[in-house]
Amino acid sequence: MSQNETVAVKITDLNKYYGSFHALCDINLSVKKGEKIVICGPSGSGKSTLIRCINRLEEHQQGSINVLGTELNDDLGNVDEIRREVGMVFQHFNLFPHLTVLENCVLAPVLVRKIPRVEAEEIAMEYLAKVKIPDQARKFPGELSGGQQQRVAIARALCMKPEVMLFDEPTSALDPEMISEVLDVMTTLAQEGMTMLCVTHEMGFARQVADRVIFMAEGEIIEEADPETFFNNPQSERTKTFLSQILNH
Amino acid sequence: MNIFALKIEQIRGDYFSTRFDAIVSCLCLVLVAWVGWSFFDWGLLNAKFSADQGFDGCRAVSGACWAVIDDRARLIFFGLYPYEEQWRSALACLIIVLVTILSCVPSFWTAKRLTTLWLVGFGIFYVLMRGGVFGMTEVLESEWGGLALTLFIFSAVCIVGMPMSIIFALLRQSQYRVIATTMALIIEGIRALPLLGVMFAAAMVLTFVLPDWLHGDKLYRVIFGYALFFACYQAEIIRGGIQSLPSGQEEAAKALGLNYFQRTGYIILPQAFRNALPPTISQIVVTFKETSLVYIVGFFDLLTSGKASFSAGEWTATYVEVYFFVALIYFSFVFSLSRYGAYLETRLRVGQN
Repeated sequence: MSQNETVAVKITDLNKYYGSFHALCDINLSVKKGEKIVICGPSGSGKSTLIRCINRLEEHQQGSINVLGTELNDDLGNVDEIRREVGMVFQHFNLFPHLTVLENCVLAPVLVRKIPRVEAEEIAMEYLAKVKIPDQARKFPGELSGGQQQRVAIARALCMKPEVMLFDEPTSALDPEMISEVLDVMTTLAQEGMTMLCVTHEMGFARQVADRVIFMAEGEIIEEADPETFFNNPQSERTKTFLSQILNH
Repeated sequence: MNIFALKIEQIRGDYFSTRFDAIVSCLCLVLVAWVGWSFFDWGLLNAKFSADQGFDGCRAVSGACWAVIDDRARLIFFGLYPYEEQWRSALACLIIVLVTILSCVPSFWTAKRLTTLWLVGFGIFYVLMRGGVFGMTEVLESEWGGLALTLFIFSAVCIVGMPMSIIFALLRQSQYRVIATTMALIIEGIRALPLLGVMFAAAMVLTFVLPDWLHGDKLYRVIFGYALFFACYQAEIIRGGIQSLPSGQEEAAKALGLNYFQRTGYIILPQAFRNALPPTISQIVVTFKETSLVYIVGFFDLLTSGKASFSAGEWTATYVEVYFFVALIYFSFVFSLSRYGAYLETRLRVGQN
């Protein structure tokens, strides 16, 4: 019981295949509440697939995923329950272009959490202020810069008051000068104690924020360590190669 | 340089830049002027407008005999609808035109408002036409005709067909193979049939197949058949709109915890409709024009009543004038629809950037 109270996500012997391609092999991962995990690795290593399995944007074939005490299986009720408590931020923002920024933020709380619209709008404005764009609330996503759109996407996810946040390469599609505004928001979020799983190549962010860094390659977790050890004393050859490629440019 | 001079310069550059261009342009101008003048001469200068002397009044003039329109307009607009009750038919037409115009106003563009508007408007149309309540005498569907019948068939087909097409499109996209394949077969099957065949089958064959209590009036069977036909085409248009959406839209909606119906209703369909707007408008235009095919199963629609207005009695020589008039009615509906479509496209492009 005490374990259930502290573990946010528990992944056991997870396997995922695309046809005959083995995308994830025997993944074991346990994330405590309030823990910040950064997942990195070369492209095609399965890191995005892994976090997309957590809210069932991808289906796994073997093993188990338990999120906040709810088992992720074919039971659609469980899937809905987990999605309510797990927020996600995508590489390409995926804001709804036909809705204003405010409507983007209000939609799910009103429809899914059944919060009255007025109250949901108050919450939304609060989070938009937090990501520093309350003055854009009435605009459409297309009128905003990439960095602003991604901050709206973070606010939209936060409006559901999730227990866990998943970030799938949130800065990869951004122009360089907009990366820091998004990372700042993520750092603040981390400092406030949000449970976070971030797929990212921003190693500065990893150093500063992560409790653990996970290195993946070819669908397997190769190395798992605190940032200090991970960056200064990596164990595996592949990790060393990857780090030298990503840090020496 | 002022705008006028610029325009002149542009015209000179576009149409008169070489000698050959200039000759061709002049020839075309002469041709246009000649056609224009002949029409003006025939249709206005030497035309007879009033029907006070019957067809004999037209014998004196060399131009168009618009007197036939003056004399037979009511037949063209209302068909065989009882003469004293034709104000109801006229009012009904006005209401449906008004509803169409209102539904073009952006502030009506929510599913709830549009549905209410059309159901109420169509309800009033039906009650006015059919009567039997509020002291209006009953007029059976078989006596309806003219523009009123054309508008009735058109709007009924759209009202029934549009929701049907959405359901068809969603079923065809179903994750269950059996449902998706069955729907695809139905859609492709009906699309492979000619509309004329579908109408004929609905009017004649259906009565042998269905139990008596399901027959309904022939008019409703034909409308149902036509709506089914419309829905199959429109479903493919909507499906195209859905497929042009990036997959991230559905994923983001899933990640927020929205269920299938919420995702479809709030995220997917509004965007799909927006993408599918140009082909949807053209589908609606085609649907309006093809209502004229109902003459084959014995309905007295706009085109048929136009034909009736000159084929009996003294007006037999005036078919050109009548067809011209009927064409003008079709044109004014179709042209405003397509202009409206063009306006929408620019408007939505602006909103999306």
